[in-house]
Amino acid sequence: MKNNTESHDESAHGTHITSNKEHYSTLAALLLLTVLTVSISVFGANLRSLTVATAMLIATVKVIVVAYYFMHLKFEKKIYTWLVLLVIVLFLSFLILTSIEYLNR
Amino acid sequence: MEHHSGLVLPNSGHNRDAEASKLGMWLFLFTEFLLFGGLFIVYMVYRMLNPEAFLTASYQLNVTLGAMNTVVLLVSSMTIAMSITAIQQGNSKRSIQLLVFTVAASLVFLVIKYFEWSAKIHHGLFPGMDVFNRLPHGEGLFFYLYFFMTGLHALHIIIGAIFIVVVIFRTKNGLLNADNYSHTENAGLYWHLVDMIWIYLFPLFYLIH
Repeated sequence: MKNNTESHDESAHGTHITSNKEHYSTLAALLLLTVLTVSISVFGANLRSLTVATAMLIATVKVIVVAYYFMHLKFEKKIYTWLVLLVIVLFLSFLILTSIEYLNR
Repeated sequence: MEHHSGLVLPNSGHNRDAEASKLGMWLFLFTEFLLFGGLFIVYMVYRMLNPEAFLTASYQLNVTLGAMNTVVLLVSSMTIAMSITAIQQGNSKRSIQLLVFTVAASLVFLVIKYFEWSAKIHHGLFPGMDVFNRLPHGEGLFFYLYFFMTGLHALHIIIGAIFIVVVIFRTKNGLLNADNYSHTENAGLYWHLVDMIWIYLFPLFYLIH
């Protein structure tokens, strides 16, 4: 991050340039989470509902990592984060309303 | 050099707006997210109604091939992010190389998907085939959703790959460079969305045992 060319570019364009080192670490984190989710599923098959919850949790962490670093949400204007949150709230309310209807059958 | 001063006037002959272009891409991605989101809710409801059948049917899928495709997409997501770094630093050649690698990865993904689908079709599990028709109700639903959702996702892979090929040619022609790379950025955003959808599809269909 403290690379010379980068700080120069940042001041010139006002945009963040992600270094390859950051890209490698992001990929390493994503691959680690994939190994984790596959091994929980393969070796913890008897845990059932717990594996569903953990699989969804790990997938969500992976998606956040992709959005935050690969899609540059971390370095974008705040408006992008707010818009993403708005869409997530919209989706979750639809999901929760559907579940409530199902649970009250 | 007027780009660098940050004082470009609205009507100074620059008919592009990288920020608006990016915002437009994000808005489009939201509609894509809700499209797949709706399908995930359909999956969730049918799964709650047929838990045992979904479990039995999911054992038919090949976890190894699914995991391989996950790795392929994650690596390609990194290479396209790196190609944006390269073009921002003015290295068009490296940017093109990384984009070519990403397209190659998309082809690997599709080839693996082809083998997976062929195996299922060989076993008569495609909707309408003999084995499929004799499946219990819930298992049939699982395969309907499997083919529809992975099929729609594969279609997105193809569109994303075409988008990246266009960006490769535009970079080659010098239309995209360190001062104008919003197409590269948008192709990247689209590709990451395709990756994100797969991140959910993979555990939902292959891993939930």
